[in-house]
This record gives sequence, structure tokens and C-alpha cells, in this order.
Amino acid sequence: MSIDKGVEVRYVPIDTESFTLDMDAFEVALDGASLVCVVHTSNVLGVRNPVEKIVEMSHSVGARVLIDCAQGAPHERIDFDALGADFVAISAHKMAGPTGIGCILVKRDAMAEMGPFMTGGSMIKRVTTEGSTFQEGHAMFETGTPRIAEAIGWGAAVEWLDQFDMTEVHAHINDVASWTATKMREIPGIRIYGDPGREDSSGAVSFLHESIQSQDLALLLDEGGFAVRTGHHCAQPLMDALGVPSTNRASFWIYNTMGEAESFVEYLGQVVQRFA
Amino acid sequence: MVEDRKWPEHLDPVVEEFRNCFDAMERYELLFGYAKLHPSPLPQEEWNDDNQVHGCQSRAHIICSVDESGGFLLRGGADAQIVQGLMAVTAIAVNGMNPSEVAEMEPDYAEAMGIRSSLTPSRTNGFLNMFKRVREEAVLLQ
Repeated sequence: MSIDKGVEVRYVPIDTESFTLDMDAFEVALDGASLVCVVHTSNVLGVRNPVEKIVEMSHSVGARVLIDCAQGAPHERIDFDALGADFVAISAHKMAGPTGIGCILVKRDAMAEMGPFMTGGSMIKRVTTEGSTFQEGHAMFETGTPRIAEAIGWGAAVEWLDQFDMTEVHAHINDVASWTATKMREIPGIRIYGDPGREDSSGAVSFLHESIQSQDLALLLDEGGFAVRTGHHCAQPLMDALGVPSTNRASFWIYNTMGEAESFVEYLGQVVQRFA
Repeated sequence: MVEDRKWPEHLDPVVEEFRNCFDAMERYELLFGYAKLHPSPLPQEEWNDDNQVHGCQSRAHIICSVDESGGFLLRGGADAQIVQGLMAVTAIAVNGMNPSEVAEMEPDYAEAMGIRSSLTPSRTNGFLNMFKRVREEAVLLQ
């Protein structure tokens, strides 16, 4: 955007000790800003950002707010109206749905200012050799054949999730992740990135071992039946801020048990003892 | 030991050592050991964009040359011990060979060692990319 449109992009740093957004720096960066983009919950650190405060501060200076709730939606009910953000992005496969589909919720007044970015079937109203008119609202963005099967699958996933009390679900995930991180810290050479002990943290537990390289560690854990994510998690600026090229990440969700967490920690300890 | 092998005979003891491992973890342990015994490591100071092997999940770099006696020399370095171990085994295989022989080699030894089946597809591709680069360099050095 900065190259194509001449938009000035400002990045807000995190405090690398507490792993939280530097809100003082945010306040400075907000001066003259027209759009604030922020993740609800970090896919790397599991830290939930103070999105309610960010929306309030942004709107007070007339900036619109886009919140990436891909990691937040699996942990809490996102009330779009109550949250007050102008845009909220959600991804189906992060909430038990199929891959290849997501959505962006847009406030009506923001939608009124927007125009189509892509043309095609279904989004046109009238096409003539003299000109074209387009559908209004969300229809103007939905060109061509929609992802029908994925949408039906996502609907089923939402219905499935709807049976749960998400507050209880989050408490369970947080308990498991928090316990796991605490026990992992007792393993020599393991460092946790993030703060799973915070009550609003997600089930992501990012970590590194001081001498076993992250890819090696992932492969060794895989032999024990534990699939951990490894790499920069599509968050390279964050990796730069943390001063590491990658992390390992164990992720817990609704279906994981404390027993599984215990097995994971025990096996990780064995791997470290054998390979460090 | 293997009649239709596509790797140099002097690699047989290494392949046999890996085959005799009890399980995958023991093989990895052995590979970690080989990483430390790399016969021609490439120090991190020499890693750059030109010698980076792309397609590896971890950082991997190789430089191929011909030594004074005309033998192939593979120098390699990686931040992951498993990749470094695979490089070490490859270096044991190709170092000293005629470049034209290296250009004809196949990566079957990794399969015979029982390593390739343990690797994730992306890491297998990483190993194959590294091997392909070695063969390409060997062609140029003929």
C-alpha cells in the first residue's frame, strides 16, 4: 500500500518482556491515522490485545479500525456491534470450519464509502456499452460463483460451536495452555514466548529450546505423535522484534485434554534430555 | 551389502549403521552425531544468498568445488542438525569422487538409511533440493 498508494504505514512495537502492545507508542502512531489494523489475539504469542480500548482510542481521532479476529473467534463470542470496530475479519478454518473461506464484517456506514475492487458475475446490476452499475452492500464484493460447499461447512461448524458456552471453553483452553507453559518452563533450556498464564490468553504456547533448533525439535516431537507448528508463523516482523528466526508452537483448543498436555510435556522433557 | 546400490560403496557402512537403528529416534540421534562429524563444514561466516539452498524449511548453504587431486568437495552448513547430518552423510558420499560420478548419483541412500520416510514432505523436498543442487554443481565442475 505504501508503494502503490503512497500510504504511510506505521508499525506499533510490542514490549518484548510482557509480549503486549506498546500502548504509549500506539497513542503516538495514532496521530493523523485513518485506519488502524490490529489482531484480536496473536497467532504467535496467544496474547489478546486490548481491542476495546484500541477501538475507543482510534474512533476518538476519527480513524477506522480493522480487527483480525481469526484467532479470537475460536475463543470468545465476537459481538460485532458491541465491539464497535468498522471491520472484523474471521477465518473459517480457525474455528473448526473448512479451509478456503473467510469473511469480513463491515459496518454499514463504512460499506457506504466503499466500491468494488473486483468485477464479475453476480455483482453487477446493469451492464451496457455505455457503462455499468453494481450491486450495493456485500453483494458488490461477491463476484462469480461463491464458495458454496465451504460456506455450508462453515455454517455447520458455527452451529456445532454454538452448543458450547464459549466462556467455559476459553477457561478450559486457558487452563491447559497455562499449565503446559508453567511445566515447560521447568524443562532446562525451554523459553516461552507469550504469557499463557494471563486469563485472556489463547491456547497458543510458543517456545524455543536454547540448543535444539526449532525444525529439529518439531520433527522429534512429531515422532512422539505431537504436531507442533514451526516457523515464523507469517509474522516475520514479530520474529525480528523477538530476535529469533522462528518458534515452535503448541496449540490447544476445545478438544484437547489436560492428559494430552501432560503427555506432551513429559515427551518434550525426554526429547530435551536425549538431544540437548 | 546392496547389489543395485546407486551410491558409492564407501557409504555402505554408514547406510548399514542407520539401518541397524532400533527406531526413528535412534536414527535421528545418529544423524545428530553425524552433524557434529561433518567432514567439510561450511562456517556460518560463509553463508550468503548465492550459496543458500532454497526450499529447505531451515537455513542450508553449500559450496561445491574440486580439490587439488580433482576430487569433488562438498562443503555445507545448516542451522538444523538433521539437515546438517544429511549434508554430512552426503559429503561422506561425494567427497573425493569424480564430479562426473557425482552428477550421476541418485539420492537413494537416504531412503535406504530409513531417513527419508521419516521426513515430512517439505523436509524431504528440502533434502532433494540440496541433493539436486549438488548434482547441478557437479555437472558444472566436470
